[in-house]
Amino acid sequence: MSKIVVENLKYKYPATDFLALDGISFSAKAGEFIGIIGKNGSGKSTLCQAIAGLVPNFYKGSYGGKVMVDDIEVKNVDISDLCEKVGTVFQNPFNQVTGSKLTVYEEISFGLENLGIPKEEMIQRIDEAMELLDITKYKDRNPFDLSGGQMQRMAIASIIAMQPEVIVLDEPTSQLDPQGREEVYQAVQKLSKKGITIFMVEHNMEKIASYSDRVLIIDDGKQIAYDTPQKIFSRDDLDEYGIEAPAFTKICRELGKKNPVTGCYPVTLEEANDLLKKDKGEM
Amino acid sequence: MKSISLYEEKGSILNKLAPESKILYIILALVLPAIVGSKMVSVVFIAISIGLLLFSKVLKKTIPILGVSGFVLLTVVIIQGLFRAGNVTPLLTLGPVIFYKEGLLFAFNIVVNVLNILLSFCVLILATKPSDMIENFVRKGFSPRFGYVFISVFQIIPQMTETMATITDAQRSRGMETEGNLLVRIKAFLPLISPVVMSSLINTKERALALEVRGFNAKNKKTFLNDEKKSSADKYIQITMILLLIAGIVWRVVGCLK
Amino acid sequence: MSKKGKSLWSLNFNTATLVLIPAAIGINYLGKLFAGVLKLPLWLDSIGTCLAAVLAGPIVGAICGAANNIIYGLTMDPISTVYALTNIAIGLAVGILAHKGFMKNIKLSLVTAIVAGLVAVVVSTPLNMAFWGGTTGNVWGDAVYAWAIANNLPVFFASFIDELIVDLPDKIAVLLIVFAISKSLPKSLVALYQSGDTIDSLDN
Repeated sequence: MSKIVVENLKYKYPATDFLALDGISFSAKAGEFIGIIGKNGSGKSTLCQAIAGLVPNFYKGSYGGKVMVDDIEVKNVDISDLCEKVGTVFQNPFNQVTGSKLTVYEEISFGLENLGIPKEEMIQRIDEAMELLDITKYKDRNPFDLSGGQMQRMAIASIIAMQPEVIVLDEPTSQLDPQGREEVYQAVQKLSKKGITIFMVEHNMEKIASYSDRVLIIDDGKQIAYDTPQKIFSRDDLDEYGIEAPAFTKICRELGKKNPVTGCYPVTLEEANDLLKKDKGEM
Repeated sequence: MKSISLYEEKGSILNKLAPESKILYIILALVLPAIVGSKMVSVVFIAISIGLLLFSKVLKKTIPILGVSGFVLLTVVIIQGLFRAGNVTPLLTLGPVIFYKEGLLFAFNIVVNVLNILLSFCVLILATKPSDMIENFVRKGFSPRFGYVFISVFQIIPQMTETMATITDAQRSRGMETEGNLLVRIKAFLPLISPVVMSSLINTKERALALEVRGFNAKNKKTFLNDEKKSSADKYIQITMILLLIAGIVWRVVGCLK
Repeated sequence: MSKKGKSLWSLNFNTATLVLIPAAIGINYLGKLFAGVLKLPLWLDSIGTCLAAVLAGPIVGAICGAANNIIYGLTMDPISTVYALTNIAIGLAVGILAHKGFMKNIKLSLVTAIVAGLVAVVVSTPLNMAFWGGTTGNVWGDAVYAWAIANNLPVFFASFIDELIVDLPDKIAVLLIVFAISKSLPKSLVALYQSGDTIDSLDN
């Protein structure tokens, strides 16, 4: 059973004359982790926002095809209703702070207040979300006084507290320092383990390779490939789409080491290790 | 982070009262003198405000607020005292300048008026958390979306001030002159302000998106994490103030009929 | 009224437009702050209001003007609350003129600036009279006021000139800055504030 189905999705922003998305079609099962990769400006963010209904309902513009979440057609529901099912985390942690709350604790309550969640349940959900994202210790701090990584984890906690079944992460680490990135990667892994369906745009291919069940390449608004990370990173034409394979894949490609079963190069350290060990054993 | 609000939590009675009671106090302090038609009433309210502020340990905090208007008040006293049409009775002579009684009296009235406004507002703003006040309005039916607009300003302004300090330093270190003759300073204005203006406008897009995905436009009834700010005394205080207002109106009407 | 006219006075704001309001108020504050740092003889405290009016129309401009002064009133300067009226008028005037195409080029922007300046003076003068006896607290303006009443000119006239001397140059500077900034904003951003309600179909 597919959680998300995208069918021949086309989209043009208002006041532009090109398709930002052009014929995207794929589906994802509940609990899957989908990596979305491609050049800057290829349409990754637009696709993320199409899953959350921001495209087309926030921007308007011209739209074709459809995005289904369970049996809901995204275009036909209000963003404020869909957000209970699909949560979105954006690039810039600073811009996601509402600016209307004085503490981290209150900040996480923002979405819950809007949804009309009763106070008792609100408190319970906030505590759980803070615990999961490991930010309980910053509970009484002003949201703007956090570091980038902490702020981004607060943004994720704010979304998690709304208990969506799908989370879309649009380059959540691109504006963070290395430490902040690592904090966010760990948080994302936790979410994935909880069984939440995740879509993530990310430039770190090692992470995409190790987290993703399937990877989607888009270029110039068009879908190039949708497959397992092993198949995706074993392609010969990655350069064309501005994608650099993970380091382990590149090394094994140089060495000519393919997995004999799948015919693909390994994409993570573990896979590479296993393969090389096996080779040694055979020798 | 520095706040632009001068509010301080001191656990005082004024802190505990509902914001509405304090707003009603402002209305009473400004309207009653006009209804009764006596400057004395304003003076009484100035005294009450000072008393309340002193009792709540925030009288010192009025200084920056009085400072803003203080300079303008000073110019009013000087200009009206010296030049007001109808100035005939010299009151005070300082060398070549003569202050006249009529002008000073006029200026005194202005000073009383302004002080009454400032101090009664202080009763509200020095003892009320802005977000508590706006949240109470939202509970009473004010649009939550516009409530957001007001509350967020209190956070956004300090944020921008910090950005401004960074930019001023950066531009200065790149050799931009921010001192010198008027032309030099005018020329410095646009490059200083435009980066912050541009970035804050561009950021509105992502902030709007982030609000949308957190149910900003949800149509159901909102709930609140914090409890409503009010005390048991509020009802009585509000009734007393409304009675005073009515008494003032009656007194005036009866006075006119006689 | 035409279809355009309806959208001009629409009270149905999208989220992007609502978020523009606090940003505009922040920009007003910043302008005032920088004018102080550079010791400029202008206020420059309505850049945000005018930008919002140009980008999102007269109603949003007016709301920015009102909210701006209410917030000043609730923080630093209670008296400034009454001058919300002036800023509402400026927001309306600039919004309407911008919609009529008066922010297209520098020359037309100057016309907008002069109209906005006059509107500000007409609304502020009675307020100055009521609260301060007619002065503005600006050294240059008040010097003229003092000169005028010392020469037995009517007080409202002195007050009018006092305000005019401050406001007109201020609004000219503000609207030239607004012109420069609004021309360099990305089109996609501007479209957000003016977006309609319809989604066109790309399905065959």
